Amino acid sequence: MIRNKRLFYVLATLLFLLPTLILLLQSLSETWRFQTGEGLRFQLDSYSVLLSDPKLWSATGWSIGIGAGVLFINLVIGIMTGKALATLSFKGKPFVEAIILAPILIPVLAIAMGLHLFMIRIGLADTVLGVIIIHLVPTVPYSIKIFQNAYRQLGSPMLEQPLILGSNPLHQLFTIELPLMKPAIRSVTFLTIVISLSQYAITAIIGGGRIITLPMVFFPFLDTANSSIMAAFSIWFSMIPLALYVLVEILLLLLPYTIMPWRK
Amino acid sequence: MKWYKTKAFYLFIPSFLFLLIPMYGLVQAFIQSLSTDGALTFEFYQRLFESDRFLASLGFSLQTAFTSSLLSLVIGVLLTRSCYQLLESYAPRLIVWLPMLFPHFVWGYMVILLLSESGVLSQLLQVTGVLSDSGGLPTLTRDASGLGIIITYVWKEVPFVILMLLPVYASIKPEYYDLVKNLGGNSFRQFTSVEWPHILPVMIETFLIIFSFTLSAYEVPALLGTTFPEMVSVLSYDWFYGSSWDDRPLAFAAMISISLIILVLTLLSYLLLSKRQWKAMRGRLK
Amino acid sequence: MRTHGLIGLLIILLLSACSGGESTPGLSEVTSKEWTDIEASAEDTTVRLFMWGGDEGINQYIDDWVSPRLAENHNVTLERVPMNTGEILQKLQTEKQAGKTEGTIDIVWINAENFKNAKENELLAGSFVDSLPNFNDYYQTDDPAFQTDFGTDVDGMEAPWGKVQFVFHYDAAKVDNPPSSFEELKAWTAENPGKFTYPNADDFTGNAFLRHILYAQAESPSAIYDQPLDEEAISETADDTWKYLNEMEPSLWRSGDHYPNTLTELDRLYSQGEVWMTMGYNEARAESLIDEGVFPETTRSFVMDPGSIGNTHFLSIPFNSTNQAGALTAINFMLSPEAQLAKLKPNYWGENTPISIEKLPEDMKEKFQSVERGESVLSQQELEESFLPESEAAYVDWMKEQWFNEVVQN
Repeated sequence: MIRNKRLFYVLATLLFLLPTLILLLQSLSETWRFQTGEGLRFQLDSYSVLLSDPKLWSATGWSIGIGAGVLFINLVIGIMTGKALATLSFKGKPFVEAIILAPILIPVLAIAMGLHLFMIRIGLADTVLGVIIIHLVPTVPYSIKIFQNAYRQLGSPMLEQPLILGSNPLHQLFTIELPLMKPAIRSVTFLTIVISLSQYAITAIIGGGRIITLPMVFFPFLDTANSSIMAAFSIWFSMIPLALYVLVEILLLLLPYTIMPWRK
Repeated sequence: MKWYKTKAFYLFIPSFLFLLIPMYGLVQAFIQSLSTDGALTFEFYQRLFESDRFLASLGFSLQTAFTSSLLSLVIGVLLTRSCYQLLESYAPRLIVWLPMLFPHFVWGYMVILLLSESGVLSQLLQVTGVLSDSGGLPTLTRDASGLGIIITYVWKEVPFVILMLLPVYASIKPEYYDLVKNLGGNSFRQFTSVEWPHILPVMIETFLIIFSFTLSAYEVPALLGTTFPEMVSVLSYDWFYGSSWDDRPLAFAAMISISLIILVLTLLSYLLLSKRQWKAMRGRLK
Repeated sequence: MRTHGLIGLLIILLLSACSGGESTPGLSEVTSKEWTDIEASAEDTTVRLFMWGGDEGINQYIDDWVSPRLAENHNVTLERVPMNTGEILQKLQTEKQAGKTEGTIDIVWINAENFKNAKENELLAGSFVDSLPNFNDYYQTDDPAFQTDFGTDVDGMEAPWGKVQFVFHYDAAKVDNPPSSFEELKAWTAENPGKFTYPNADDFTGNAFLRHILYAQAESPSAIYDQPLDEEAISETADDTWKYLNEMEPSLWRSGDHYPNTLTELDRLYSQGEVWMTMGYNEARAESLIDEGVFPETTRSFVMDPGSIGNTHFLSIPFNSTNQAGALTAINFMLSPEAQLAKLKPNYWGENTPISIEKLPEDMKEKFQSVERGESVLSQQELEESFLPESEAAYVDWMKEQWFNEVVQN
């Protein structure tokens, strides 16, 4: 295990940490031309451009709010459907499973127009609720799958026991299922927020310019040749799921039977 | 079993309501691909499958998507199974998940920053004198074999594979491993008899997710692809947002075709999986 | 069953497409009023300007210069919404299809094939330019550049906001004498293999570069820009164009195996010193990039014979704008000499103006003439002498397809 551990840290640092640090360094310096003998020229202009955008803070707020809403609905739908898929067996289940996975398999560009029509017809175009609902499309299938797997691993004895002992389903959910499914909740949180945060096209169309989220401020800068600004935006962008993830991690501590880190 | 008579059926209501939204979107796209001025036509599908440019890009896309998905999966499984105990703790897990914090195109851009002809790697090799000029490094990005696209996707999707597999590995009871060990099984045996049955459904789903994403996403190939061959997503994007809107039904037809390929593949996988489960259950009953 | 009820309700919701409601008054109704009345009814309203948002200089010009002054002078709140023009038009088209008469877009920044598509699909509100006082006072209203946009009749449906011209950029530290014609460019490329390339034909700038070659190979450029696209008639010119490009290909960057997907990609290559030239559809765009340290300080620009293509870009009002009076007020303000002067200065955007300097009052005229646009920008005289108008929009599409067949796949 020790050998594994060292290997893991070397690999993880090289493959996952280093690129992030490179982006951070680029965001703090001008375009690199090491081959000409130039060194690093540090600057903070990229961040001042970022902070000078009057929409940055409100867009960050919208993104966080929408992310939280999307996450909540995901947890509800994911837990309900995941449990049903894991515990029930019925004819045609493969079809149901395929259809549930379908929304993330179909190209977004193909359905964007139809989604917009749908939202106009039910009167939710250009509203926050509409944006939250539209963000469910690329996220909910993941959540269902992750919870389905979690329930499958829990096994039915664990789920039948409390029923025999006379517990109600909600009580069972909070005292048994959720504490045991913490890894799944973590995965869903992380994934949902990251995906919701990076939706550009459907947010732009459904939000109609009334709801300006971070990618709407950020994505146009894809067209800039200024690497520093691009990197600064990326760093800012990554801070949000990180912050929300830590928040959920704290909420998880409130579940029953959690060993508090300081009590170890 | 008459499943709809059980109470648990109600657990499906929210997801069925949810599914109406994308289904409506898909039906709309389908209608678009089949109509000109309100009349039914198969013209666009015909034009599509007679177009050499489309067929070439379809082949290239399938190949690139398949390679990226398979590589991500293999590397992801290897990493997870050797390190999942470590990944239970906070810091290592966050490090591994770091690439997921960035949108795909940022990661693609990062790959260019590092590996392109004038990227950091090439610059450092030139400074240290290993390379004499920027032409010395083999072409790793925007190449005709899709290498740049594959590197970006594998790099970005391995953490996702770990994310999907981690809850599964975390819940495999250590007793199973002990059992295999006590019976004299080696590590390979552990993998095939303990882990494989647990992770197979997740692996198939993860593969489908990555495959369909890499097949249809636009940003990464737009950044890291070359002029020819191009990915289907880039071609349909040009048809969709191109200067003439006459090509739009063609874009819808291309994307519907892609969706159909993926949906059939998904359905087959689930049918296969459920057959296996059914067999396994019967085996247990005997 | 209860679920049936739920699904039924949803279907009813879907079918009852809420396309009802009062439709907004037509644009002609608004423009027929006195200008002072239009401005008065625009007070205390919000105007949403949807525009491409990938240039911080342009964004800051709107946010820091236009918005505060519009609020102060006219009590109009201007909200800039960054969105790609393709997406804006898609949004409008879907809204049109669904019968949504109350949209969220009041002004859209548009030109060329986007304008053509918007006009053909009736996504615009209608003719309004003649009612703008600033347009009538300070612009050459019958200028052909304002009458047609890439061959499409404007019909007063968009107001000229800016004017740009295509130029090439080079690093004066590496290149002593930039080529002065397309033949010289080919010779230069052969002498300096790997140091020149151009974005592919799907890119806006790459396509414009290719149309320059077409102009250069024709008997005279007007044989292209004065004629609607006729593939038969230009087949000889087209052959010469492909010949030129194919001969050039082996000495391009990466031997022409790969063409940059976007202008951004070419700019990055230039910024790294990989190639020694870049190009762009805005004669002043290098200034801010030099300022930020992205382009070398020795970057200069040049144009070649037979000339350089220029075009005008416009502001227009979508069919379902809910604040047409506000949109008219804002557009009129953005066309004003003050706003155009601020736009010309290099500290924000540095972009040329479609205004007629000679129609301005004396003091304003002087201010315009004394603007220093920066060392990388060619003189006004040089730009005007080399100016060539755009061809019909159909050439853009034709070029995309043919270039792919004739140059890439060959």
